Amino acid sequence: MIPSLARAVAWKAGAFLATLLGATAFVLLLLVLAPGDPVDLLPNGAELRPQLEAEWGLDRPLPARYLHYVQRVATLDLGTSLAYRPGRAVVDVITSPALRSLGRVLAALALALTWGTALAWWTAERRTPLRPVVQALSIVPVFLMAHALVLGLNAATFAAIGTGWIDRPDWFALPDQPSALRTVLSIVILATASGALHETHAQLEEALVHIRRAPYIDAARARGAPVWRHVARNLVPPLAVTLAERAAFLAGSVVIVEKVLLLNGAGAVLWEAALLRDYDVALGIALYAAAFVGVIRLVADGIRVAVDPRLREAG
Amino acid sequence: MPRVLLLLFAAAAGAGPLRYAEDRAPAVVNPLFATTMSEARIDELLFEGLFADDLELRSVGRLAERIELAPDLKSATVRLRRDVVWHDGEPFDSEDVVFSIEAYKDRSTASSEAGRVSWISRATAVDPHTVLLEFEEPEYAPQDKLHFKILPAHRFSSRSVKRADPFRTQPIGTGPFRLVSFNDDNTISLQRHDRHWSPAALPEVAMREVSDKNYQAKLLIYESLEALVRVLPRDLATLQNDRKVELYPYQTNSWWHFGFNQRNRTLADARVREAIALMIDVDELLAPIGTGDRVSGPFVPSSPFYNHDVAPLRHDPDRAAEILTEAGYSFVSGRWLGPDGKELKLRLVTLSNLETAQDVVINVQSQLMSRGITVEQTFLGIAEYRDKVWRNHEFDLLLSQWSFDRSEDIWEQFHSRGNFSGYADPAVDKLLDEARASTDPQQKKALLRQTHAEIAQDHPMVFLWTLDSYAALSTRVQKVVVHPFYFFTWASDWTLGQ
Repeated sequence: MIPSLARAVAWKAGAFLATLLGATAFVLLLLVLAPGDPVDLLPNGAELRPQLEAEWGLDRPLPARYLHYVQRVATLDLGTSLAYRPGRAVVDVITSPALRSLGRVLAALALALTWGTALAWWTAERRTPLRPVVQALSIVPVFLMAHALVLGLNAATFAAIGTGWIDRPDWFALPDQPSALRTVLSIVILATASGALHETHAQLEEALVHIRRAPYIDAARARGAPVWRHVARNLVPPLAVTLAERAAFLAGSVVIVEKVLLLNGAGAVLWEAALLRDYDVALGIALYAAAFVGVIRLVADGIRVAVDPRLREAG
Repeated sequence: MPRVLLLLFAAAAGAGPLRYAEDRAPAVVNPLFATTMSEARIDELLFEGLFADDLELRSVGRLAERIELAPDLKSATVRLRRDVVWHDGEPFDSEDVVFSIEAYKDRSTASSEAGRVSWISRATAVDPHTVLLEFEEPEYAPQDKLHFKILPAHRFSSRSVKRADPFRTQPIGTGPFRLVSFNDDNTISLQRHDRHWSPAALPEVAMREVSDKNYQAKLLIYESLEALVRVLPRDLATLQNDRKVELYPYQTNSWWHFGFNQRNRTLADARVREAIALMIDVDELLAPIGTGDRVSGPFVPSSPFYNHDVAPLRHDPDRAAEILTEAGYSFVSGRWLGPDGKELKLRLVTLSNLETAQDVVINVQSQLMSRGITVEQTFLGIAEYRDKVWRNHEFDLLLSQWSFDRSEDIWEQFHSRGNFSGYADPAVDKLLDEARASTDPQQKKALLRQTHAEIAQDHPMVFLWTLDSYAALSTRVQKVVVHPFYFFTWASDWTLGQ
């Protein structure tokens, strides 16, 4: 039991580490393959190139640069911004925006799971027009839903103010101001678009059908015991699987949503850092995102193991 | 009204900050490393040069009281103001001037502004309020070049200053405003420097990043901003009709062009370049994006260097066809084929953030395609653009805009040792070298006007237009005069009412 548990923990830790390494290596490769570098941003970049390449470590071969990055990260040094906020420690640049994005993603995860479960509970084993509606709503890509919502809302409100129907309402923040409305929109979009709601709903509906038809539910019914407790308990593992699957998707989608809705977060910073070829800032956000996905997967696994005794026995 | 009364009025009114928008917040607030207009504009509020432009764009003393030029024009003594203090309360003196010049010049500083002091061979502090400047060549009007910003020597341990120095977000200047906070949400807050030798009337200024240009006019209309640096042409009518907004036209030293890559063998032939230029209906391209003046060369019409004897090229597709035929091209099945039988195709590259460029690109593509030339368009981000266009010359045609400060130095754009498009004309090189070396303003004017004429004959670019620029400010902001390049040069006089 103990050796198999240790093996499982080691396996999970290895997978977590591989996720971090894979994500950062992939982002670095993408940025290096894209034309241009931070020296190109300077008007006298051509003249300064040899000096700055040496100073910024851009003259080393890519594997050496990546190895150096990994060594630095191992000592919790995420490096220094070159172009986005030159000279500032990457940790200082990205931590606050990352926490804001984390809040949005966690809220979107919670929302997706909540209304996915509620819808699944309602539609499971029923013929209902709700299913195609969910499908149709969810088929809209994240970027399109974000654009359509923000443009539509702004146009309607500006028109209403312009024609004198309403004064500028308190809930309508102009695009440069922090806005609860845009934050709520971002959470709804993340939890709905690009198939998010449909997939969550479909997975949970399938799990619910399976659970409701299970022999232990029949047994509970026969005993006159409350069925919902058994259903809820057995729904937790599929919920955890869905949670783990959605986390990676949401971590990626938040970049688009923050950019379109002009929200200050890690996604918006990653966008700027990529444009400016600020390698350490982009890698820092990739590292945070990979860590988030890895942690969510570990949590999901932990929940499944805690709820399902068969998984504990299997090690 | 005396300035003191203005200050009292502003304080009593409690008018709040003057908020202005930038598309992208400055990354570095240090004049040694200013690379964007948003950085240059905020530097104008925080820092001062020895001289600055007056309303007639003549150089007048800022940190300097006066300048005494030596008879041989090879040196000058600059007498400094005695009533200047830095934002941290330290007194300003001649060591700051010497330090700044050395920091700009120092190769390890790698300043993007080093060229502004390259004409000074040595700076010496004679006493705390006197600096002796020695020049590489005789200078007739050195005060016109002494506009670069002065830095506080006491804030740096060495004249080799790094771009990443913490000064970039905690700058100390002598300007009329001091930086209070450089916030995580990319806003920057400034407060009046109360110990300034001529305190500003505005108590506070705030820079807000509004990356989506489409919303900037809305923010002004709905009173979330007081100033827009540049109004998009499509917003002009809306703002003009808004009683709470005033538009301020100003002339910028900026002109648009299509640049040819003359490293491309086809475009190395001046006849092909001229034919393409004649095929383009510039007025038709300009109409949808705003109003402006056509230019016939590398200066704006209001520049002293503009040669008014050179007329802008007229749209003449028939003549273009004749020229291409003379150059060995043939028009077959609606397409121009070169002497080698290959179709004449152009890769047109544009910076993706060049405002309204999309309209111009689509229209020129349509114009040239209707005349038998295929155009493939690409929009690139800044790093990609510099890499592909400046470094690797992977383009045939580019749409771009050059902006200049008062020196209007076009050496890098047209000298064979400076430009990236492969343009080389020994006569132009000679004229540009002589103009750069010339310290006599009249001689320089004559040389550059001649350069204009020479360049226009070579067609290294299709010279397009200088756009009419408008700033928009809330009518609460009064006494507004905007500088055509730095915008805030005269912001000390602006006032903000309730």
